[in-house]
Amino acid sequence: MNQPLVSMRSVCKKYSRERATIDALRDVSLEVGEGEFVRLSGPSGSGKTTLLNLIAGLDRPDQGEIVVSGVDITRLSVRRASKYRAKQVGMIFQSYNLIPQLTALENVLLPMIALGRANPSRARELLDLVGLSDRSDHNPAQLSGGEQQRVAVARALANDPALVLADEPTGNLDDQSAQMVMGLLTEAVRQRGRTLLLVTHERDTAQASDKSLELRGGLLR
Amino acid sequence: MMWIRLIFGGLGRRSVEAIAAFIILAATSATVATSLMVVEGARNALAQAERRDRPDIIEVKSRFNRALFETPRSGNLPPLTIPVYQPLIDPGDLEAAAGDNQVIKRQSLFRNVVSGDSFLNIYIFGIDPDLEPEVSSFSVVHGRFLRKQDREVAVLDQASAHALGVDVGGTFPVRKADGEDLHLTVIGILDRINLRAAPPRSAEAPSLMPESTFVSSGAFVNLQTSEDIFGRPTLTDALVVARSASDVPDVVAGIQQAFRLDPGVFVTERFNQFQRKIRDFALTLALFSAISIATALVVGSFAANLLHDIYVGRRRQYATLMALGFAPAMGMAPALVFGLVLGIAATAIGTLAATALVPRSFAMPSLMADLGPTEPVLDGLVASSIMAIAIAAVLVGVLSTGLRLLRRPIAMDLSEESS
Repeated sequence: MNQPLVSMRSVCKKYSRERATIDALRDVSLEVGEGEFVRLSGPSGSGKTTLLNLIAGLDRPDQGEIVVSGVDITRLSVRRASKYRAKQVGMIFQSYNLIPQLTALENVLLPMIALGRANPSRARELLDLVGLSDRSDHNPAQLSGGEQQRVAVARALANDPALVLADEPTGNLDDQSAQMVMGLLTEAVRQRGRTLLLVTHERDTAQASDKSLELRGGLLR
Repeated sequence: MMWIRLIFGGLGRRSVEAIAAFIILAATSATVATSLMVVEGARNALAQAERRDRPDIIEVKSRFNRALFETPRSGNLPPLTIPVYQPLIDPGDLEAAAGDNQVIKRQSLFRNVVSGDSFLNIYIFGIDPDLEPEVSSFSVVHGRFLRKQDREVAVLDQASAHALGVDVGGTFPVRKADGEDLHLTVIGILDRINLRAAPPRSAEAPSLMPESTFVSSGAFVNLQTSEDIFGRPTLTDALVVARSASDVPDVVAGIQQAFRLDPGVFVTERFNQFQRKIRDFALTLALFSAISIATALVVGSFAANLLHDIYVGRRRQYATLMALGFAPAMGMAPALVFGLVLGIAATAIGTLAATALVPRSFAMPSLMADLGPTEPVLDGLVASSIMAIAIAAVLVGVLSTGLRLLRRPIAMDLSEESS
């Protein structure tokens, strides 16, 4: 394995819901190398999204440490965690999370603005990469689900992050669109030599990935 | 354009709530602005009345001299030195009784000045030229006003100067108590005099205000000069300026105690009368202030609640921005800017409406007539108070969303369905 980019050690995460405590992750340890494509699967509620959120610094573990590029992100302040995400992480969500009042181009520009390096020509290049150069001025509502997720892929690559985290990016798409998005995503990440951690139910991606992991009841297998 | 759309765009059905919040804030601002403008105008009227009435001033006067009417009006009788008030006040006793409150001493005289073959009645006031202008006003049209070190000089009103046929640099004789004439040199002419607690006008004399029942003219000299004319240092009247209006009852008690054996010395104050006068006024102000505060609290919290709903609806957007790497302050900036622009615009429109609709001047029925009309005022205090209410409503509205985004994991807001 290449140099580990992400290293999780004994990570636990619990949620409390209506007096019940749910173990989302139980003593999870994991290493993901630079440039690796890791596929993460598991049934609903197994802790896949929680794992991705913890690596993105969008949530904090109750126990354990998560080291990304040599930095323990569990100890970062809210401000530093934002900076970490802007520089090192590209996020793709199942429900796209595009800003509805902004155009496709502007949505791609957002991560660059967060870093103070807005570059519209690069944003256009990325939209071209995902085949949406002619839809750059369209709002998300004017795009199909597949097109919206392609915009989200372009946005995730905006700051050329070392780590791309994709949470069931094709979960809301039809087969054809899902195939297209997955193809674009894996190809773009591979071409750039970036690390991809992909949460998916799609079995087709198993062959393309370097490593396939499965979460069940908060335990990694 | 992108930022404008990011901040204000995509409200969807929440735009109805945004419009409602805007209208409510504008209406609140108009109501509160009107109330505060009235309160501010009333406070100004009160301050004006306080400046005019000066409840902090205590008048100490000797008995009025009715012998004035025995003054010969013609013939070759020698001119008489007759005080307007009897000179019964010992300045040392008064200063001791007044303590560290300021004493403005006066000697008010009435003299028959020989002018050609006739007598001319002239009021002569011995004053302290440094202290008297603090309570009275003198408008010098030629020459200059008195100075402390001046001797045997006078400042005359235009009417008296005209009657005496003198101008700046001229002289006129005044008979002293010892029978000698003192020639006073005119150094200044006054075109307007407002002598606080002026004595009643009791004899025919040149006057700047012929219809006035109080003396509005005369020759003003230094106290030392008037002592020379009068031949004694005792005062005819004086004003004691208390350090604050609330000290007046104690100071009055002290002076009355000091002069209890002098039945010819009268102490009068306006503080109690003024207090009675402003009681209704204060009640009216309290009513308007209460209306303002109640309106601001009730309607402001309603507007804050509407804004809160809008923020809840957009919480996921703000969380998305932070998930994409926006710093917390930057991620929350669209929320704050949205609220502040809405609040400030609503406040500005409400305030403009209030300014256009509120009467320019009106008399409050509960006020005593002599406090004068109230003129509603939009000043910095009113404007900043209204602005503070709008900003407070916005901050209360954004508080829950802000705290949630900063304190709770962003992941929770990202997974939340937008409402």
